[in-house]
Amino acid sequence: MKILRNFTKRMFNLFFKRKKDISLGFYGPPNAGKTSLANRICKDWTGEEIGKVSSVPHETRSVQFKEEVEIKYKEKKLKFKLIDTPGIATKIDYEDFMKLKMKKKQAQKRAKEATQGIVESIKWLDDVNAVVIVLDSTKNPYSQVNITIVGNLVARDIPVLIVGNKIDLKKSNVKKIEASFPDCEVVGISAKNGKNMDEFYESVFKLAKKT
Amino acid sequence: MPHQCTHCGEIYPDASEELLKGCSCGAKFFYYIKQEKVDELHKIREQIIELPKEDKIQIEKDIREITGMDEEPDKPVILDLESIRTLEPGKFEIDIVNLFKKDRPLIYNLEKGKYIIDLSSISPKKKD
Repeated sequence: MKILRNFTKRMFNLFFKRKKDISLGFYGPPNAGKTSLANRICKDWTGEEIGKVSSVPHETRSVQFKEEVEIKYKEKKLKFKLIDTPGIATKIDYEDFMKLKMKKKQAQKRAKEATQGIVESIKWLDDVNAVVIVLDSTKNPYSQVNITIVGNLVARDIPVLIVGNKIDLKKSNVKKIEASFPDCEVVGISAKNGKNMDEFYESVFKLAKKT
Repeated sequence: MPHQCTHCGEIYPDASEELLKGCSCGAKFFYYIKQEKVDELHKIREQIIELPKEDKIQIEKDIREITGMDEEPDKPVILDLESIRTLEPGKFEIDIVNLFKKDRPLIYNLEKGKYIIDLSSISPKKKD
């Protein structure tokens, strides 16, 4: 009886699971532009934003979602659940926030919340079907945070797309990201001004196929 | 009169054999230096120059700019058994490699010898 039930469940999943929204997580170090990119996608397809963007790192300190975001690309449609996560870092120091004109108490609170946010981000990996890793293309991609994120996603068989954000800036170097992660697909974009978003959506559809 | 080899920089004291035969590096050109200048150089070499902290930071910044090297890459954080270490209020070190491990609870290090273990952080394995 149990075998039969399992079999029906599996067959049901096989035929209907694909119709479920694809949970797409946005991961990366702080201030890379995860929320900016998630906002850009949400605005393009739903007209609403997902969260607040700031130049002070660790602005997103809890996981934010947007359900039922339908993206169309070349007459194909896919529904996503977008999961925007807090930036992952190895060190959080309130004094860094104080340099950006924040008061001590406020900076310490932000640091604590940012640390909680990192724990939450990593826990959420159990609930994503695919991940977009957002990196700042003006910074050195070869860091402990980036390597650890990519390595863990690959080990967990979660499909990955790497986005090199901020290509509108002079110091941007997407080639360096490609060289650091030769086994991953890399797309250079500017979430701020919407540069190269077509190529990004094309890659997202390719990513969705792998789920 | 001491002489310095113009090729390798070796300084030979007065009336050295090398001045006639050639330097041990093979070169035969020497530059004459006054004895007092040589003594002065020796003195400077022995002196340790103490710089204020800001100057040291500025020097490092300048050199990195000159060489075109990136800013110093962040030191990797590898903690002991804990995933999160509190250094003082608002200062944290996070061992993300540890944090990614699913099979172990979250351990916070509050200070030397003080730990908090969050057992609820181990999610039960899902049944298939």
